[in-house]
Amino acid sequence: MKKLLLFMFSLLLTSVTMAQIDRSKAPGAGPAPKIQLGEYETFTLANGLQVFLVENHKSPRVSWQLFVNRDMVSEGENIGLQSLMGSMLMTGTTTKTKTQIDESMDFIGASLTTTSKGAYASSLTKHKETTLSLMSDVILNPTFSEEELAKFKKQTISGLLSNASDPAAMSSNVRSVVTYGTAHPYGEVETEETVTTINTEMCKSFYSTYFKPNISYLIIVGDISKKEALPMVEKYFGSWVKGEVPTHAFETPKVPAQTQVDFVNKPGAVQSTISIVYPVALIPGSDDVIAASVMNAILGNSGFMARLIQNIREDKAYTYGAYSSLSTDPLIGQFYAGAEVRNEVTDSAIVQFIYEMDRLTKESVDAEELQDVKNYLNGRFARSLERPQTVARFALNTARYNLSNDYYATYLERLQAVTSEDVMRVAKKYLLTSNAHIVVVGNKAEVASKLKVFNKEGKVTYYDAFGNTVADVEPIPQGVTSKQVIDTYLDAIGDRTKLASISSRDITMSSSMQGRPLEIHSITKGSDKMVLTVKSGEMVFQSVKISGASGKMTGMMGDKDLSEEEVATYLEGNVIFDELALNPDLTTLIDIEEMNGVMAYKLKVGASKYFFYDVKTGLKVGEIETQETPNGPVTSTSLLKDYKDVNGILVPFTILEDNAGQVMEMKVEKAEFGGKVSDSVFK
Amino acid sequence: MGQNYKIVMMKKLLIGLTLLVAGMSTSQAQQKIKYVEYDLPNGLHVILHEDHSTPIVAVSVMYHVGSKNEDPSRTGFAHFFEHLMFEGSDNIPRGEYSNYVEKAGGALNANTSQDRTFYYDLLPSNQLELGLWLESERMMHAKVDSTGIATQREVVKEEKRQRVDNQPYGSFQAEIMSHAFKVHPYQWTPIGSMEHLDAAEESDYVNFYKTFYVPNNACLSIAGDLNIKETKKLIEAYFSEIPKGAEIVRPTIMEPIKTEQVRDTVYDNIQLPAVMMAFHSPALGTDDAYAMDMVSNILSQGSSSRLHKKIIEEEQKAVYVGAFPFPLEDPGIFIAFSITNAGVEPTEVEASIMEEVTKLQTELISENEFQKLQNQIENDIVSGYSSQAGIAENLAQYYMYYGSTKLINTEIKKYRAVTREDIMAVAKKYLTVENSVVLFYLPKQ
Repeated sequence: MKKLLLFMFSLLLTSVTMAQIDRSKAPGAGPAPKIQLGEYETFTLANGLQVFLVENHKSPRVSWQLFVNRDMVSEGENIGLQSLMGSMLMTGTTTKTKTQIDESMDFIGASLTTTSKGAYASSLTKHKETTLSLMSDVILNPTFSEEELAKFKKQTISGLLSNASDPAAMSSNVRSVVTYGTAHPYGEVETEETVTTINTEMCKSFYSTYFKPNISYLIIVGDISKKEALPMVEKYFGSWVKGEVPTHAFETPKVPAQTQVDFVNKPGAVQSTISIVYPVALIPGSDDVIAASVMNAILGNSGFMARLIQNIREDKAYTYGAYSSLSTDPLIGQFYAGAEVRNEVTDSAIVQFIYEMDRLTKESVDAEELQDVKNYLNGRFARSLERPQTVARFALNTARYNLSNDYYATYLERLQAVTSEDVMRVAKKYLLTSNAHIVVVGNKAEVASKLKVFNKEGKVTYYDAFGNTVADVEPIPQGVTSKQVIDTYLDAIGDRTKLASISSRDITMSSSMQGRPLEIHSITKGSDKMVLTVKSGEMVFQSVKISGASGKMTGMMGDKDLSEEEVATYLEGNVIFDELALNPDLTTLIDIEEMNGVMAYKLKVGASKYFFYDVKTGLKVGEIETQETPNGPVTSTSLLKDYKDVNGILVPFTILEDNAGQVMEMKVEKAEFGGKVSDSVFK
Repeated sequence: MGQNYKIVMMKKLLIGLTLLVAGMSTSQAQQKIKYVEYDLPNGLHVILHEDHSTPIVAVSVMYHVGSKNEDPSRTGFAHFFEHLMFEGSDNIPRGEYSNYVEKAGGALNANTSQDRTFYYDLLPSNQLELGLWLESERMMHAKVDSTGIATQREVVKEEKRQRVDNQPYGSFQAEIMSHAFKVHPYQWTPIGSMEHLDAAEESDYVNFYKTFYVPNNACLSIAGDLNIKETKKLIEAYFSEIPKGAEIVRPTIMEPIKTEQVRDTVYDNIQLPAVMMAFHSPALGTDDAYAMDMVSNILSQGSSSRLHKKIIEEEQKAVYVGAFPFPLEDPGIFIAFSITNAGVEPTEVEASIMEEVTKLQTELISENEFQKLQNQIENDIVSGYSSQAGIAENLAQYYMYYGSTKLINTEIKKYRAVTREDIMAVAKKYLTVENSVVLFYLPKQ
């Protein structure tokens, strides 16, 4: 009986709790928990080494990070020196061989790594002194032997070789070069050639110049008290001798005057690694930092709700992930936005990146979205405090960048204070779609020429995997002139005299827009008569008729007479063969470069208009033109393919129109040259 | 991210492996991890761990379904399904699932292995109930429409291009598994076949959901700043009304013991050749699996490990070498992997690896090296559980694979029980030529 009662009671309990939930909507939050930053202590040795200690006894482990806070150094001919010198620290001391060091660390299950800016070690609490003594030894007494350097150089060079096929490494190299320039330490990329030059003297000299306690920090995290730590640090780092350390300044890298397209060929690639990058002056702790981080979070750094991933992954399904970042740095920071996308949508994806970046500079972010992102950042900050290393990082940053002591303690308040006006202000300042480097690593044959549209001159600069420019353009051979290129083209499609005698053209093309079939019908007669009709099925979207000085437009937007100016604009392009009307003396032959999969002469025919002619066949393979619009300059390209004979004239039967990434393929269905056309059709 | 890409590609592959079957080799804590566990009447297993150090909570659900449960004509389905499980439910509109978590200041994700699918939400602790609502909606009445299916199908294809097709050595997992397994479903990998995904129909989705996404095939594991009594009540409220599903039929097919070495060559867009060797090895949780774990430590943990010292330092034949178990619920494989130095033939590296294997088979390891092993394992176990998310996942995994949640605190005994003789014995038993697959990766052209 008692059992039964208990059972009924439990059923009752269940149904009571069940009744409390309403599945149709998300449950509310409980009272917000208090976020505790955590404490740290600091002390300084007589030689100037500053120590931070974050005491945390949750796990029986202690970690030690030594950070040598020197200026960035340019490596010139010896790029890779710092990295090698850092690795070499662990390869022998005045009393231990590399094997002994490795054995000692591995035996206690500890880890030790070294870099050109210090070292990191961690172990169980019971092995902390052994670990610290080894770390001290490699930092204070390294020997840099020839034999070990030779091994490391061999390893490094093999590793560099494998970089040449890794799209992430290729992209990283080229991004560094184009963002910062090779004169800046951030723009130096190591190659086999630069690594080969490095010798032990250079390592020793670098080490003895920069490894000084008075510019260094030691960060201790874990299961250790200040009482224990202080004498240990004194014992193992107290004898480190202080000294003057040279400082270095570099010219601040600048954004490009106009957006550049930088391409790295990875033959056989099935995806393009897209990055949009440029330098940004954003010093840690400066006024814009928090607002800029909110703005960047909205764009591409707030999980699945960020605009880039919503647009490019969840809506368009172009990618597995699309993100952006805005880094702060005492010298120079960087904006980055990027994704890996399949070859055929490379240009379309870039258009969406640009769209989302521009949108933040034009449309005010609404209060709800702003609050959501602030909540996201608030939560991320709170989660990061689960690791005691976070507090250590705060302590280090506060000292390195001279931040106010309450910088992190007041971070959440300042985050909440960011307004949508702030977001737009920093978006305008830091999102620069007209001054960016668009770096793409991918399949050149399938992708590269579609990217010309993102540069005003239709130019793509090619790089190798290490950021060296690759001559993709060839100079114009001696003796070849604009006139020859034009004449060769005219001869290739027909015969100049015959072409000149043709006074009418009637072409019907098919295409589609947003899944809807389109028919484009164009008739030209003489230089002052034209009809252009765009239909979908029986529905006429738009029709323009011009005869002499008068013209009219009919269609879904209503009917109207065209102004004199509009008529003139239409007639400007009303030429049957552009090249017959070209004056070669007013054109410039630029170079030979790849266009539409072939090497082509690039001919400048207007202020920002270029024609491309296949070097081998003479046929025109493409056009690029940039026009000023109320929304800024818009570049469009036309790729001409599938030449076929019509009335003895070669005509491209496929035209790919790319209007700033919006691609339309047009197929010629019917064409006639020199046919009889009654004047009445133009009225 | 500012990374040094010198030897990063191998690390990436390794991270990929460990991510898919996270934290199973040698993790455990010296400080005891306290937890309570129980079953709801519908079969849902619940594990709760209370820790108030940080005001966060990790809500996770592990479903006991992975690529090995797939129909051979629908490979990749379990992983694809994982993507679809973020689409929504009867009460969650399409695309809103992640918004609830992120707008609350949380983060979420999921991953799929050969054996299980794991979902997690990391939330501020005052949003625990939100996590329970979301996970119970996913288990009770997830909803997928054709737009979601079409979109995620393309997203998964991009995921495969990014992680496999366009990645140097990226096809390694697929190649090694398809060569090592001829009848067991481990012969395909979780990413599966894109043609199969294209062929999948609506009934496939419905069946898969009804079969595997049921409480009796799941473990709800929650760790962090929570009150156990309150949390139990909430779990009851959100999960008890979900009906129990039918008994799950699991693959019983056994891969036959190999009697002949398999050798093959793969041509990839790479610069440096690589050697990949796989040996059939024991299932997770068996005594032999612990011994094989220790074999991997001897061979490649740390710069003083045998393969590293010989092949990288002394012979300078390779830029990378590693040997590690790929632990799976059913018997899996033990992998040795090396990327050669420029100009070195893969056969030379293979010979060096086999020399070290032979040494393990013929000479007992020294007391000193054995002590080093013990120290390394202790270190790894103590360092294992630094995050609530990691604790939640490991608790679930120990329950699901080993049927023993308490292993999270006692697994070290399994390692301690392994003797030097055991190490030699497993090396002899599993690391044999006839039990191996050897693949050479060579540059195309």
